Amino acid sequence: MYRRWLWPGFASPGIVWLVLLFVVPFYAVLGVALGTVDPILFQPVPIWNPLEWNVGWLAEVFHRLAPGGIWFDVWIRTVVYVAASLALCLLIGYPVAYYTARHAGRWKGLILILIILPLWISYMMRMLAWVNLLQADGYVNRFLMFTHVLSEPRDWLGGNSSTVIFALVYGYIPYLILPLFASLDRIDRSHLEAARDLGASPWSAFRQVTLPLSKTGILGGAVLITLPMFGDYYTPNIVSSSPKTSMIGNQIDLYFHGGPQPTIGAALTIVLAAFLTLLMLYYLRSIHRAQRDVGAVGAL
Amino acid sequence: MTHHPKERRPGYLSRRDFLLRSAGTAAALSSAGGLLAACGNTTSVAEATGTSGEPVGPGGLPLARPDKRVTLPLWEDPIESGLEPETGGTFTVYNYPAYFYKKLLKEFGAKYDVEVQYTPFDNINSGLQRLASGAVQPDVMEITPDTLDIGVAGKLVKPLNLDYIPNLQANIWPQLVDPFYDGGSHYTVPYTCYATGIAWRTDKITEDIPGMAQPWDIFWQSQAYKGKVALLSENRETIGMALLRKGITDINTEDPAQVNQAVSDLKELYGVCNIKVDDIQYQSVPEGSSWLHQAWSGDMIAGYIYYLPKGTPASALGYWKPEHGKVPVQNDCFAICSTTKKPVLSHLFLNYLLDNGVAYENFVDFNGYQPPLNEIDPETLLKKGVVPENLANSVLTDADLGPDSLQYGTLTSKGQQLWEDGYSNFLAGGS
Repeated sequence: MYRRWLWPGFASPGIVWLVLLFVVPFYAVLGVALGTVDPILFQPVPIWNPLEWNVGWLAEVFHRLAPGGIWFDVWIRTVVYVAASLALCLLIGYPVAYYTARHAGRWKGLILILIILPLWISYMMRMLAWVNLLQADGYVNRFLMFTHVLSEPRDWLGGNSSTVIFALVYGYIPYLILPLFASLDRIDRSHLEAARDLGASPWSAFRQVTLPLSKTGILGGAVLITLPMFGDYYTPNIVSSSPKTSMIGNQIDLYFHGGPQPTIGAALTIVLAAFLTLLMLYYLRSIHRAQRDVGAVGAL
Repeated sequence: MTHHPKERRPGYLSRRDFLLRSAGTAAALSSAGGLLAACGNTTSVAEATGTSGEPVGPGGLPLARPDKRVTLPLWEDPIESGLEPETGGTFTVYNYPAYFYKKLLKEFGAKYDVEVQYTPFDNINSGLQRLASGAVQPDVMEITPDTLDIGVAGKLVKPLNLDYIPNLQANIWPQLVDPFYDGGSHYTVPYTCYATGIAWRTDKITEDIPGMAQPWDIFWQSQAYKGKVALLSENRETIGMALLRKGITDINTEDPAQVNQAVSDLKELYGVCNIKVDDIQYQSVPEGSSWLHQAWSGDMIAGYIYYLPKGTPASALGYWKPEHGKVPVQNDCFAICSTTKKPVLSHLFLNYLLDNGVAYENFVDFNGYQPPLNEIDPETLLKKGVVPENLANSVLTDADLGPDSLQYGTLTSKGQQLWEDGYSNFLAGGS
């Protein structure tokens, strides 16, 4: 009996953690999204019994997100910003993680510290620092003009999509590099040596061995940065504040800011969570497949 | 008629009802279309009219307007006169961040032997929600006329005994001693006042804004200043400005056609100047990162005092506000929270903030927002150099108020939904 419960018992802190900090809060958001509103104070009145859930707010959110709805454009914009930021993070982060894992040698620790170092400063402070750097007479414009990349200062903070995407990349890229590094660092070099011995070119060895074996790291890092990016609202606020660059998180923020319809914010959160769950399921399925493939290679 | 939170609202649809109604389309349940088809209107917050059919606010109280005075009912008796103030422990002031001079708070604390704590909120609505939830237990808080009925109906603010607040009668503009939104000052005393207008950099903007037939049009003619133009990030102010531009002076309208047209007009600004929305005009205009900004009058005074870079002359700042009867004029208030354990001291705090010396020091040495003191007049402020000549129109007087003035008032619940959704539409940046 003791042995039977010993090992599963080790999972209990994690389960308690998951229940208290994920399941309960998520159910609370669900109760709010499918609940009603206090008519005087406009506070959400959650409905805990699923049999009594009010789906009206959720239907309203679907209506707004649908083509022709008032949130369709901001929804598409959010998907595009996140996809572009993710692509850029991968383009920049993969070589950095690859170099650190495979070629940095004794500098590996230092590079990792340098990657983590910005995280010691709050996200908000880092973004505000960029606001200063990106001013018309800021260091970014000065440098680009000094190097003749620009002939006149660019208005980076004038409400540009490129600035928001750049800021998202800057803010989230360390979270992509770290799992990627861990994944690349774990790859057994003998696999690469075997590929080269069998006549594969360096590029071919990378494409057919390294890249597939780092898929779990790519997906893990992608999930890690995609989820918070979808809900981000402060980055576009700080570096743009133009409605043309707002994201769906700005709408959630608006409706949770003391107005008469906090349930709209909660319902939008639920829809966003459902969408992200689809991405998570794809991630889990891919991880499962990748592990199975690696297992098959190991068995050979 | 209002409903208890636990009551089901009209139009409410339970999941059970929903499933029954949707039985024929069970296959479509998993799709959003199925939900939409089955749900209908299930998103009303509360009734918008009272028992006699007149529009009421969220608390079921009549809607106050400058030409329609409202005396709020007392939900409990005020404290008795002649009580001694409580001492010791903490005294919590609940307000916007950095909107009260801490030096003055310390002095108040020292005078009455309490430690004054300053607890900030993001905005008054969310502040009231936190107060109602019990997350905070302040003694006094800032409140606005348009949120006052929530405070009263929710029993979140206490009735005042004006015997403890002689400075109200002695020092404050007559219009605000007995204001239209709180007849007899049952719950509030005024704190600051301000108008909504346009701030700009005179060294960047070439148009003669005050000389334009409709100065609000400058936002729709600002192609040359793309990226440097912004509106206040407040749904009442942005939509209200678009209404005023079209000559609609009912800035509390709940006519969907008017509000939706105003939102459509605001959306034109995406293409005109890539409009921005923020609330940092007191800093961004003086520092030059914004050249044209919808702004409150207090912003330019604060901007001149604190944010104008060395070497930039005061004449670089311009401010315009519409003429009387077309300009939104607001005032912030202070009230005593029902959570207070120091009701007498709370009254004395309200009296303290209306003291001529305290209110003036808070204004010129800290927040730049003008208190409605009788002794403050534009000429004196100009003479003392508190306000430069070109910003003289930022200073308000008692004459700016009155029954023919404009003030954003409480809307019905449906009206608030309409304005919030309109602002959401604008903020979404869609076509």
